[in-house]
Amino acid sequence: MRVLIIDDDPDLRSLLGHYIRQRWQDASVDEWDPLERDVPGADFPLGSYQALILDYMLGRGDGLEWLAKLKQRSDCPKVLFLTGAGNESIAVRAMKAGADDYQRKQELTRERLLTSLHEMTAAAGERTVSSELAARMESHSLGAKVRIPGIKVLRLIGEGGMERVYLASREGDDVPLVVKILRREVLKNRTALQRFMEEYALVERIQSRHVARIYDHGQSEEHAYLVMEFFEGGDLMKRLAGQALDPAEALRVFRELMFALGDIHEKGILHRDLKPQNLMFREDGTLAILDFGIAKHIDAIDRTKEGEVLGTPRYMSPEQVQGRALDLRTDIYSAGVLLYQMLTGQHLFEGETAVEVALHHLNTPPPALREDLQLYQRLLDKLLEKDREARFRNADEVIGFLARKLESAPDRTQKLH
Amino acid sequence: MTGRAGSAPIIPAMDVPSYKVTVARDLEDLIPVFMNNRKKELDTLRVALAAADFEQLRQLGHRMKGVGNSYGFAHVSTLGKHIEDGARSGDRGSLEARIREYADYLAKVEIVYE
Repeated sequence: MRVLIIDDDPDLRSLLGHYIRQRWQDASVDEWDPLERDVPGADFPLGSYQALILDYMLGRGDGLEWLAKLKQRSDCPKVLFLTGAGNESIAVRAMKAGADDYQRKQELTRERLLTSLHEMTAAAGERTVSSELAARMESHSLGAKVRIPGIKVLRLIGEGGMERVYLASREGDDVPLVVKILRREVLKNRTALQRFMEEYALVERIQSRHVARIYDHGQSEEHAYLVMEFFEGGDLMKRLAGQALDPAEALRVFRELMFALGDIHEKGILHRDLKPQNLMFREDGTLAILDFGIAKHIDAIDRTKEGEVLGTPRYMSPEQVQGRALDLRTDIYSAGVLLYQMLTGQHLFEGETAVEVALHHLNTPPPALREDLQLYQRLLDKLLEKDREARFRNADEVIGFLARKLESAPDRTQKLH
Repeated sequence: MTGRAGSAPIIPAMDVPSYKVTVARDLEDLIPVFMNNRKKELDTLRVALAAADFEQLRQLGHRMKGVGNSYGFAHVSTLGKHIEDGARSGDRGSLEARIREYADYLAKVEIVYE
């Protein structure tokens, strides 16, 4: 493995070189300081490298311009482009300019670097690859095969049980977008396909700034896809990173979630699968709900079998665990579980199995908040009532409670009653 | 992030865990150079601020933001972002506070290898 690193920061060059040499004992790593040298000239043996790591900000140069120049050469190796966090439009431009992969510099870990280099170079350098890598490479190639008018599918960024998720861009203005493609094996499952396509129909009906925008959807014999908004701010899972949020921030996010639920409930839609991975943030910090894959219209014919449980056990309401008919209050309970996690950094209930966690929702009283969070205890109690008759009935009631009890509380250190 | 405003310190008090940084054992050889470069960076930040060279301050902040997390020094990245933002808006008071905070951080940071 021969790798060339072009970055204006000597510490980062050293670190990346260290990771590469540690992983591939025979690796040869060359560093290129763009503060001292211009873009490699025609006489530079670029083709002798398997991979090139190129930074976006080169001090006095523009990494995208360097990328364009280097990619004009027939001997240009695979390029891993480093971008700033939260700036996916640069990633889009880099991928369109020929980069083979990109990583956000601030989030670049040893594992991500090595995985990316391995995936980029494996096809050319190895005759056999692991089944996991082969699956990922198949996912990458699927993205390249799918044709969506006006959209360029760029890179696999996530995989779920039913679908693969790609970064894409709108041709013309390079606006970053997300394309979700249903897995081929799921496509044969009529119920799963129906759920996937229903997500479009549901979201289209909502038209709220608190709900992810869907731009297009389609279906062919081979693929079914959704084109939707890309969220620069990532999801709540990433924002939490296993820790609590500042209480004021937790309350702000929770309030936004209540507005979101108010909007979808008004249309008669239950989400039924609220969890940190489904709460997304835009660049300006506003929140939007994602993944209506198991949501359903309250009046729709329920395609779930009797007693079938859909959702994520950590965030399920007691009635959801029991497989009972659901109403708005199921989402209110799940939002309460999320608020607890945002305030404490802990899951409401722990368990060794999903069933154990689910049963806690049925039988175990929620743990009390610690002393300095007592201000929020009454709110949480009413969100997490196991008997839904005693719970807040809808998002409006919660928002009213917040306004009366929290936002106007003269002394925020006092417990609310 | 949290709702802290303007030039208020990011680190709320001394001896909070953010002064303690855990670094992978195999990076031990790289850390002395890394820390030395951070101290040089601090000097350059001070000179750039004295000269009101906001473009250089922005570049230095951007570099801190990029490299801090990579080595496990999340607070260097956080301060870098604030310095980059402060340089963009020409907020001299905020930049002074952040650079003072950076000096304090570098003087107190404790590195643990695991």
